[in-house]
Amino acid sequence: MTVSAVRSPAPLALMLLGVTALLCAGGVAVGSLGWEPLWSRAGDASAAILWDIRLPRTLGAWFAGALLGLAGAVAQGLFRNPLADPYLLGSATGAALGVAVLLVLIGVAPAAGSGWIEGLGLTGAAFAGAVAAVLVTLGLAKGVQHTLRLLLAGVVVGMVFGALAALVMFWVPDIMRAMQAFLLGTTGFLGWASVGLLATLFAISLAVAVAFSRALDALALGETTAASLGIALGPVRVVLIGVMALATGAAVAQVGLVAFIGLVAPHLVRAAVKPTHRWLLPLAALTGGVLLLAADVLARWLLAPQELPVGVLTAVLGGGYLLWLMHRRPS
Amino acid sequence: MIKWLCLLLCAFALQAAAVQVVDDRGVAVDLPQPPRRIVSMLPSLTELVCELGGCERLVGVDNYSNWPPAAQKLPRLGGLEDANIEMIVALKPDLVLLAYSSRAMARLESLGVKAMALEPKTIADLRRVWEQMGHVLGASDAQRLWDRVDAGVTAAARSLPVSLRGTTVYFEVNSGPYAASEGSFIGELLARVGGANIVPGNLGPFPKLNPEFVVRADPQVIMISDRNSQALKDRPGWDRIRAVRTGRVCMFTPEQGDVLVRPGPRMAQAARLMVDCLTGRLKETAR
Amino acid sequence: MSVALLAEGLRVTLGGAEVLRGIDLALPAGRWTAIVGPNGAGKTTLLKALAQLLPHRGRVQLLDREASAWGHRGRARLLAWLGQNQGGAEDLLARDVVMLGRLPHQPWLGAPGAADGAAVEAAMRETQCWDWRDRALGSLSGGERQRVLLARALAVQAPLLLMDEPLANLDPPHQADWLRIVRRHVERGGTALSVLHEITMALHADEIVVMDAGRIVHQGRCADGGTHAALESVFQRRISVHSLAGQWVALPNE
Repeated sequence: MTVSAVRSPAPLALMLLGVTALLCAGGVAVGSLGWEPLWSRAGDASAAILWDIRLPRTLGAWFAGALLGLAGAVAQGLFRNPLADPYLLGSATGAALGVAVLLVLIGVAPAAGSGWIEGLGLTGAAFAGAVAAVLVTLGLAKGVQHTLRLLLAGVVVGMVFGALAALVMFWVPDIMRAMQAFLLGTTGFLGWASVGLLATLFAISLAVAVAFSRALDALALGETTAASLGIALGPVRVVLIGVMALATGAAVAQVGLVAFIGLVAPHLVRAAVKPTHRWLLPLAALTGGVLLLAADVLARWLLAPQELPVGVLTAVLGGGYLLWLMHRRPS
Repeated sequence: MIKWLCLLLCAFALQAAAVQVVDDRGVAVDLPQPPRRIVSMLPSLTELVCELGGCERLVGVDNYSNWPPAAQKLPRLGGLEDANIEMIVALKPDLVLLAYSSRAMARLESLGVKAMALEPKTIADLRRVWEQMGHVLGASDAQRLWDRVDAGVTAAARSLPVSLRGTTVYFEVNSGPYAASEGSFIGELLARVGGANIVPGNLGPFPKLNPEFVVRADPQVIMISDRNSQALKDRPGWDRIRAVRTGRVCMFTPEQGDVLVRPGPRMAQAARLMVDCLTGRLKETAR
Repeated sequence: MSVALLAEGLRVTLGGAEVLRGIDLALPAGRWTAIVGPNGAGKTTLLKALAQLLPHRGRVQLLDREASAWGHRGRARLLAWLGQNQGGAEDLLARDVVMLGRLPHQPWLGAPGAADGAAVEAAMRETQCWDWRDRALGSLSGGERQRVLLARALAVQAPLLLMDEPLANLDPPHQADWLRIVRRHVERGGTALSVLHEITMALHADEIVVMDAGRIVHQGRCADGGTHAALESVFQRRISVHSLAGQWVALPNE
């Protein structure tokens, strides 16, 4: 029961950018005591807090959300399934397993060999785990020929890696608290280095994905039709899965497992306009950034100086939206 | 008069044998005689039982009870969430000591096993549980032992130089970051030895903080009890904190962490560890 | 008469079963050929194999060149495909769906040009769906949707037009429109190949290919008596072909 949506995507993009700017200002104003804009207050300490802590956190949250929104739009286009999310190929539980293994290694060999382990860090381990999981999925599905096989393999890998991570936690329960902190998501430790990394990976992912936006549109008509239009399905799938893995791995590594952003952002865009992927991908990224940033600001604000895990808020917000969506469409 | 004396003697005689203790759930647990076979599913309770002279009566402990050394040889019966009911029952215990939040309680009681929920979370809790365990075990010197431990804490507090009293401290228990506030056992102990906790008690015992809070509070000393914490220098803005700049960061070993975190008879040792950290005598420093 | 599509010894195996058992076919250029046959004869499979959308054994030539020699984009510009039961694309505007037909002519990263816009408009007007170009595909009825998809295939402006059950969901006036579209395509020099269930419609074509159990049973002109006999026999004499008002119609035998 959709009304014909003739609204062009450009105004939506502008609106999202405007909301982003507002949220950034909000993010820089919300600190450990709740709402406290420090701009007027002079002093070295205030500037340091704004610049070293709040600003990179805010920007990092936006970029992570944008990466997830982009990956979600790519997943939904590639698998032609509106319920697809970026964690479909097992990258989420792969990251969890990577983090669990690293935590165990740190605990087991604190002094010896800790050089490269610490250099890798939690973020490196999470990223490596996410990418490894996607590779295992590709191997299990014997390449990218069959979309259905990919989906099934992704589900299997997701479950198995999740079980392995749980097993590691069972064997070494000391890591449970740290794992929980990672799993529920936080932007608390994002510094400028992380922001730089996220921004770079976002630029790359967006550029590649938009270059393939026509292929995603053609895929919407079915794989046979897309092939008849000259789309080389194999290479296209490989590139898009690579983009998904990169974007998801980067976001999960820095911010933890944040639910729903990748699933909900493309839907929100499509509820407003009916764009082709050339617009859908950037708009989904913008929406994802807004969602995660909003959740992060709320997470910091509601119980200051305590912090809610941002993953909890995104689940509540995302779940609420899906409920509303189900309520809206009687079928 | 004689009647009263008889009653008194009878009551006393019965008292020596039968015990009734009200546990943390508010349930009165009746023990017709002092238990000879005890299972402890909480490390702090294991330590307490042994301190009160009941170590030989322990027939099983949980996976994390690792002190005193005698307890390490006992059969392991699971953790907080996954107590092995079958193994516990097979040991035919007279009494099982559990944490308040344990799921095994209902199951064990339905199987006819006597179970008590005791989970000391503050120093006051510990005092009360100490007394209760003394009753249960029939240990007559429980009060003396408590006084000894208490005196140890006071001695540790006195050994802190006056100039270091009131040092602001941030105690991190887990990455998140989860801190130990004034309201936790650790926080109370810290207060007794003369430290000032930057995390107030109204946030709960172990709140998950905004890292900015710690930067702004600028503690003089940081104590970390979990090796898995993210390297402090990598945290944005943390290199400005006094404790990080002056290197007054104490990373406790797992063994030391056990002593600090468990509300039990090693309280005096925990106090001494804190004092060592505050005076800079602790060998472990920030990575 | 030149040959648009040539197949030699075409074999296709799907899921362990041999669906096409050695097809030899020469389809004339500038003609409309209809493929008919009972369910499971392999009509769709044949169409897909000819369009290089299925792995197959045997030779296929498109316009006197080996199919593989054309390359992806070359083939895409040569051959427009309209498949059966196309799901998806609910959220795309009708206009954008038809614009996808211009993909073979557009550079990889370029924006649609004026020629593309003109081709889209022409195709949509021909199938009479221009009026709802700004509506989402998911909001259209079955027949409206089919016309948009048909416009998408026409927008490719390819000399070869391959269609699988193109009349699905179309009501009689639009079925008649479709006949007109195919005729016009052929008049302009194109070749059309359509799999059809509606025998009467198929009898409007220039030639008919009759298939049964993975083989070609007959190929001939629609007016031919031999063709009619082959049709009746492949459907076990449950239909009979009659002439009515200057057209051939297939009527069921009770």
